Amino acid sequence: MNYQFDFGPVIEGLPDLLWGCAGTLGLALSGMVLALVIGIGGVLLRDSRFASLRWLVITFVEVIRNTPFLGQIYFVFFALPMAGIRLDPTLTAIIALGVNGGAYAIEIIRGGVQSINKGQIEAGLALGLSRTLIFRLIVLKPALRAIFPSLTSQFIMLTLTTSIASAISAYELTSVGQAIETNTFRSFEVYGVVTLLYLVMSWLLMQMFARINTRFLSYPLK
Amino acid sequence: MTNSKTTELNRRRMLALGAAAIASPFVLSRAAFAVTPAEIKSRGKVLIGIQGDNPPWGFVNSSGKQEGLDADLSELFAKELGVPAEFTPLAVANRIPALTSGRVDILFATMAMLPERAKAVQFSKPYGANIITFIAPKEVEIKSPADMGKYVIGVARGSVQDTDVTKAAPPGTTIRRFDGDAPTMQALLSGQVQAVGGNIFYVPRLNESKPGTYENKLEFTKLYNGACTRLGEKEINAFVNAFIDKIIASGEWGKIYPKWMNNPLPAFPDSIPGIPFTVG
Amino acid sequence: MDKNQLLFLLGGLKWTLTLSVIGFVLGAVAGLAVALARTSGISWLERATAGYIALFQGTPLLMQLFVVYYGLALAGLKLDPWVSVSIGFTLHASAFLGEIWRGSIEAVPRGQVEAAKALSLSYIHRMKDVVLPQAIRISLPATIGFLVQLIKGTSLAAIIGFTELMRAGTIVSNQNFKPLLVLGLVCALYFALCWPLSVYGTWLERRLVTAAR
Repeated sequence: MNYQFDFGPVIEGLPDLLWGCAGTLGLALSGMVLALVIGIGGVLLRDSRFASLRWLVITFVEVIRNTPFLGQIYFVFFALPMAGIRLDPTLTAIIALGVNGGAYAIEIIRGGVQSINKGQIEAGLALGLSRTLIFRLIVLKPALRAIFPSLTSQFIMLTLTTSIASAISAYELTSVGQAIETNTFRSFEVYGVVTLLYLVMSWLLMQMFARINTRFLSYPLK
Repeated sequence: MTNSKTTELNRRRMLALGAAAIASPFVLSRAAFAVTPAEIKSRGKVLIGIQGDNPPWGFVNSSGKQEGLDADLSELFAKELGVPAEFTPLAVANRIPALTSGRVDILFATMAMLPERAKAVQFSKPYGANIITFIAPKEVEIKSPADMGKYVIGVARGSVQDTDVTKAAPPGTTIRRFDGDAPTMQALLSGQVQAVGGNIFYVPRLNESKPGTYENKLEFTKLYNGACTRLGEKEINAFVNAFIDKIIASGEWGKIYPKWMNNPLPAFPDSIPGIPFTVG
Repeated sequence: MDKNQLLFLLGGLKWTLTLSVIGFVLGAVAGLAVALARTSGISWLERATAGYIALFQGTPLLMQLFVVYYGLALAGLKLDPWVSVSIGFTLHASAFLGEIWRGSIEAVPRGQVEAAKALSLSYIHRMKDVVLPQAIRISLPATIGFLVQLIKGTSLAAIIGFTELMRAGTIVSNQNFKPLLVLGLVCALYFALCWPLSVYGTWLERRLVTAAR
């Protein structure tokens, strides 16, 4: 017998799939906010006066960056309840995404902070610029400029990583796709379209970030 | 060389994806996967799809060997063909795709015989039986399906209990789906869900971990398990049916069955509505 | 956890290693071809490889594995599951390594290419003897960084039902019901594989930066 492609069931499920996209973006966005909080906190602790705090951050970063996300999310979902901490799938996914993204954000933000030129701050003070102006023009903007590309590509990677949250039954695009596949047995068609939707999402995000970059962070042209 | 091959594959995929964008059902013929017993014999091995984590049917034991009722049946089947069996352990939701996409020749994978599945695959005569149940801790009060709505329920994605629970539970019930039996039971044990849809073998396994905690609350469908081949493949379907008849008549199957199922071999029906045993 | 369960985990580890090595080695060969095509100066070839790279960088690895797993079979290729999973990882790696190496090929100062052209070295000589040796050195930290990503990524084969380290872990924790211990151990094994590589990559990067000063 021949295999016949049939995209009918996938087309019918398209509204559900688009809701799944919304779920994916929601998880990614919440995860990224948490990641930024962890990132900024981590950078502060990373340069703390206390060696134990510095080592805590270094260990955290190394452990998270050298273990698989699936292991991390399984751990939060299946193992932590044994220690009395029970979170629902959505919260589990957001925390796992935030913790995972946070470890990378620490390194990225730290790189940005280190890129700030101390000499320029002194020059600003010598010119009699106010402290807020110095912070805005000499510290914040160059640092943002330095970390923006890495942070945004980290965000796109986090968006793609959300697909793994289907393993703990969180609501996002992959699990919606799996539900349709279960009912129709059209695996290739379903996953093909789901893949295409991810591609569209990451492309749109990339365009959006590129716009923001040229609009707000590019060097002034004279 | 590798590059040209990958771009060709890429193009093919883009073609398939492009087809989805055209908002109409798209039909394309593909090479045949059909396989006959003679071809399997000349190939020298039979590719069997089985479950890897569902004792006592199909599971990989701790030394990595495939075991269980389905494994024993598979070995008998391979012996009948005169070739060695090669097992592909499959997740619950991967079983039908693995068969229809030509990845395996046949499924001995605890496939419950259901009319909607019979539209996608060809079932053989039944070789096993099971009851789908609803499982919860003893103190949880569940008398009828209407009570299910009060709890968060876990099921293995794409399994019969998924269908049964989804159908029986009142609208709005929270149902969480996991990749197979192992994570589903794990979810119940760790309290991520308060009840699960399962079968008569869930409770003994769950109580191994927390003795005396869980019990069957509701019984859903009584199910028969059959082997699956691809639709329209006459020779292999006839071969499997003859094989099942033979091992039941000889008493061989009746000896193996209780070893795994703790029950004597039940009597099987000659027909099940909506599920043909032979290629029509 | 008894001895058998530990051995079963180690059996899964063996498959994790096998998948990683196959994906990395074959992905490197294909990735080199992608990188060369991407920097070939032939515009349609550059555009095609750019699309190829964008496709893999813009979609989740899990979906890539699903589509390759089911797609290869539909394309009429009857392959063992581990072969098609390996092909999935190989394609994934070829796109990422191709992009990393494109960057490092372009990072080799243009003057050197021009000098090589002035000496009328053929394309093959120019690449083999002038550009690639430097590009490989530049790319090493990022390449090792990707290898770490790949090793971690092989855990997704578990969702397809392939018994590598992660799935071995869920099977064992379902036997002894000690997920805290078993999943912790599984993560520790991944860490033991990845961490030395990460440290080596960071060290190489630091050396490269110092050398460039």
